[in-house]
Amino acid sequence: MNLASWIGVVVLAAIPHPDALADRAASRPVSVEGTRAGRTGPQQTADFDTEILPVLTRSGCNAGACHGAAAGRGDFNLSLLGADPAADHEAIVHHFEGRRVDFARPERSLILAKPSGDLDHGGDVVLDQDGPGFQRLLDWIRSGAPRGASRKLVRFEITPRRHRSDDLTEPVPLRAEAEFDDGVVADVTRWTVWTPLDSAAVTIDERSVARVHRRGQHVVTARFLDRVVPVEWIVPFSDSDFDFSLEPRADFIDDAILRTLTELRLPASPPASDSVWLRRVTLDLTGRLPLASVADTFASDGSTDKRASMVESLVSSPAFVDYWTLQMARWLRLHSLTNEPEAAVVYGRWLRSQIALDVGLDRVAEQLLTATGDSHVVGPANFGRMVADSRGHAELVGRFFLGARLGCANCHNHPLDRWTQDDYHGLAAVFAKLERGRIVEYGTRGAVTNPRTGEPAVARIPGVRDLGDDGDARAELSKWLTASENRLFARVTVNRLWRAMFGRGLVEPTDDLRETNPATHPELLEQLADDFVQNGYSLRHTLARIALSHTYARSGTVLEGNAGDDRFYSRAFRRPLPPEVLADAISDVTGVPDLYPGHPRGTRSVSIIDPLTPSRSLDLLGRCSRVAVCDEGAANGGALPAQLHLLNGDLINRKLGDESSQLSRLIAAGKTDAEIVEHHYRQALGHSPTSSQLQRWLGLLAPSESDDRRQRLEDFVWSLLNSRPFKENH
Amino acid sequence: MSALSLRSDVRRLSRRDCVKVGSLATVGYGLGGLSLIDAWRGRAAAAGTLAAAKAKACILLWLDGGPSHLETFDPKPEAPAEVRGPFRPMRTPISGIEISELLPRTASIVDKLAIVRSMTSPLGEHGLANHYLMTGYQSSPVLQYPSYGSVVSHLGPPATQLPSHIAIPESRAFGAGFLGSEHDPFVTGGDPSKADFQVRDLDFFPGVDESRIRRRREYLAEFDAMQSAIEARAPAADPAFEQAFRMVTSAQAKAAFDLSAEPASIRARYGPKMFGQSCLLARRLVERGVPFVSVLNVGWDTHTGLVLQLRDGFAGAKVGVGLVPTFDQGFSALIEDLDQRGMLEETLVVAMGEFGRTPKINTGGGRDHWPRVFSVVMAGAGIPGGQVIGASDRVGESPRDRPVTPSDLARTIYTLLGIHPDRELLTSDGRPVSVNQGGKVIRELV
Repeated sequence: MNLASWIGVVVLAAIPHPDALADRAASRPVSVEGTRAGRTGPQQTADFDTEILPVLTRSGCNAGACHGAAAGRGDFNLSLLGADPAADHEAIVHHFEGRRVDFARPERSLILAKPSGDLDHGGDVVLDQDGPGFQRLLDWIRSGAPRGASRKLVRFEITPRRHRSDDLTEPVPLRAEAEFDDGVVADVTRWTVWTPLDSAAVTIDERSVARVHRRGQHVVTARFLDRVVPVEWIVPFSDSDFDFSLEPRADFIDDAILRTLTELRLPASPPASDSVWLRRVTLDLTGRLPLASVADTFASDGSTDKRASMVESLVSSPAFVDYWTLQMARWLRLHSLTNEPEAAVVYGRWLRSQIALDVGLDRVAEQLLTATGDSHVVGPANFGRMVADSRGHAELVGRFFLGARLGCANCHNHPLDRWTQDDYHGLAAVFAKLERGRIVEYGTRGAVTNPRTGEPAVARIPGVRDLGDDGDARAELSKWLTASENRLFARVTVNRLWRAMFGRGLVEPTDDLRETNPATHPELLEQLADDFVQNGYSLRHTLARIALSHTYARSGTVLEGNAGDDRFYSRAFRRPLPPEVLADAISDVTGVPDLYPGHPRGTRSVSIIDPLTPSRSLDLLGRCSRVAVCDEGAANGGALPAQLHLLNGDLINRKLGDESSQLSRLIAAGKTDAEIVEHHYRQALGHSPTSSQLQRWLGLLAPSESDDRRQRLEDFVWSLLNSRPFKENH
Repeated sequence: MSALSLRSDVRRLSRRDCVKVGSLATVGYGLGGLSLIDAWRGRAAAAGTLAAAKAKACILLWLDGGPSHLETFDPKPEAPAEVRGPFRPMRTPISGIEISELLPRTASIVDKLAIVRSMTSPLGEHGLANHYLMTGYQSSPVLQYPSYGSVVSHLGPPATQLPSHIAIPESRAFGAGFLGSEHDPFVTGGDPSKADFQVRDLDFFPGVDESRIRRRREYLAEFDAMQSAIEARAPAADPAFEQAFRMVTSAQAKAAFDLSAEPASIRARYGPKMFGQSCLLARRLVERGVPFVSVLNVGWDTHTGLVLQLRDGFAGAKVGVGLVPTFDQGFSALIEDLDQRGMLEETLVVAMGEFGRTPKINTGGGRDHWPRVFSVVMAGAGIPGGQVIGASDRVGESPRDRPVTPSDLARTIYTLLGIHPDRELLTSDGRPVSVNQGGKVIRELV
């Protein structure tokens, strides 16, 4: 494009429509124009990094959907949320032949004319011509659009940081204050970006006044420059207090939970019966139903520490090892590799041995991060083989060890977290030289390019420090990650364990821990993490502690005031049995095992740790393939195919008709209907039917002339295995 | 810098209205004299009650992975070679509309289609983009939004023997979200083009007849009743079970999935591939009253080898059987078949993926993810055919005018289906969430 033609474009762009001029003249007080005209000197020039960028951020200009996108928008590229002020200053003041700022006629600058709607703008009108943001930009351009002193933000505080109110309608003005390294303290409320995690629960208006619309606990994040601060809102669920002073407490878990219930005015449901508790804890710790004989002994045991003894025996059982190997395998995305079945077998066997020996998870982590050698011999060497490359490796490390979704930081700094592109590619660089073939070794070649710099990324502990590029940085990463003063890994792990026991993490999702996604019980999360570290990163210790809390022992009875609670543990939450556990439970109650190709008869589903082992039943029940992420489990194909399978498929039907089934044996032994109902209730539900339930069943099962007793009993067992009390843990 | 249209005196009127009026004047899509007044009237109508919607059903053809807009509905013959790509555009009976030469059958029915060429979204990752295109909402950490079919299943008439939301042969991850799993799509599984195609577990297990299925239902109700006694909000019966029960006890439901009942000529018209036969099955289901059917067509994530993947299908193919020719046959057959049966007026057909592809061809001869501009094609439901809405720029990189967001599209789809976009849905904890938020109806389609 030659000079003349682009001048032509500029002139065209700069001439406003006559109507626009009229419009502006009518709406602007002359005095304002006068003030502006008078301000020509350099006094009080805004600092670009800390005063101009926040205007753009607040207006949404550098959001991911607009000019903050990796590719920019309309050839105007800003760093996401102002992460790179130097580049942004360059883009605004110098790029595009400097047309974004017009020193001759500052108010005609594109940076003002487009967002304020004077010129056509793909992102609509986002900057009010009469607002302070427009004015601040205008003044800054008038004073020469300097970069300024590049001062740094040292403190950012919100008042109130936490707000509790009984009144849903009460408006709450928010205030944000910033302190910079030049000593200046400023009210930055109007430049702070407020984002409610749940926009239906809290709204914040243009004047930064908040209104809460729903009872409960909510979070709003406040962003200014690179700081993001969560603000907590609490409106109790009811108007009357509950007194929990007499409520039993085992330890800090119950203290923390009851503290929140007190604050939120949620009533606590009564304790669960022994039989309900036993079924729950046996399923959660071992993935199995309690044996009827164990339930009997437990019921008749009068000792006060019988629950502690039970938990001790559960966490010491082989079933515990099987079940937690499966859980760990899911978190680590363990799966078999094409043409290399040995790898997953060896990996799984190693994992199992670690759990069987109660090896601290810090030690397990260290081996996963640093192991090399023949992956058909060395189990943990397979950790990095579950992903395609060093970036995948970094993302897996992020999710499993840091509880962070680092993926965002591949293309730009994480908008809600502290992770930068340097962190992401730096972590990938730690694994860049790793050979991922059968023999896993640290090679001499391989690098990751940091797209920000275009240079090979420097190995780095994310968010902490560079590691340099001489040699194997994995050991240092591992040392940092497992250092007892570093609570990241501990926090992530105890949160997963909590989820396994309650069906919900203190932080959800469990692989997205960050300051802007706070825990429902932040203090409890810290205490659990401390306790975990102090007890040698022991899986068993933390699980046993949770299992013995009174919180865990609460019943699922829904009270008048706690029906709406889904995260504060005022009652037990019902949750579906995991696919493998349900399949095993069906096998146990019917007495007929599932068959898995390549595995001996009697192999339990929870032992099938390779999710690529073919099993249509497990797939339909919702098994996760682990090719993608499966922290939360995954449903395949919805409830209807699973239901059709339960109705017409072989998962249950084949077992009901089997000659070796429990039912066949009971019938052959001459048992009565009552005995058969009783037996199946105890096996499947962990308790006997009440006498009225039993009478009801005897009536329904009473034979009519034309029909087959066995078929009626089969249909009874079928309906039992399809009932919610059976298919759920509660 | 083509869009330096100056304005300011019409600030109360949205920019989009202006652009539309402008483009009608200058480009002339043949809509007839739609004036500014009409645009205002249209807005007023949308704010109030819905005009009687014509569509009773929707078929969503999901082109999974993100189809290249440049090799389908938005060719750029004037662009530099690295953008233009290996294929040429072809003319259609509607003057001014050209689409890729790989779509000859579709070209002949362009008079029934509305092509939106200015779709735009910020999300270039499959999962996030799927969610946005299938729900009209960007994903949120606090709420799982329901996809179109699930909203239809929830708000539409109660399911009969057949589920209200069916996916052929599989479904992409996004189901019912907060509406609950009973509104998840029913996934047929299998391959409708295979002779032995049947929906799994639809027939009784040997030895279990209908009377026993009825008895099992009766027994199950006993357990449900016991459950209700201890749990205040327990549902009376498991909706998934009830739906399964209705299906397996209905001969008509089973027959709906039987493609062998179709004449050979019809089957041949849809083509031998899974996609075509899935389209045919979709038509059978809609014919039998299913209000929402999606057809999954995978493989559009063409990072490499455009010619092989999009046209040929396999190396050395004499007749292209790749993604685009396969789509061309199935899609055009579906539209014509619906039209000939008089069903097109009452059936909305949408063909789309989660985003477009990068304008510049990469070093592997493919194109990468590109959400900033892409195309969506719609037909039926009374949509005026033979029109193009919006345009991308010279190289297919950004919307040139009339940007349409997935949220706008969602609002349009719901409106066409007679679902008021501002209608509120309730989450499990009683929170109201509107069917669509923030979208603007694509006026030319409604």
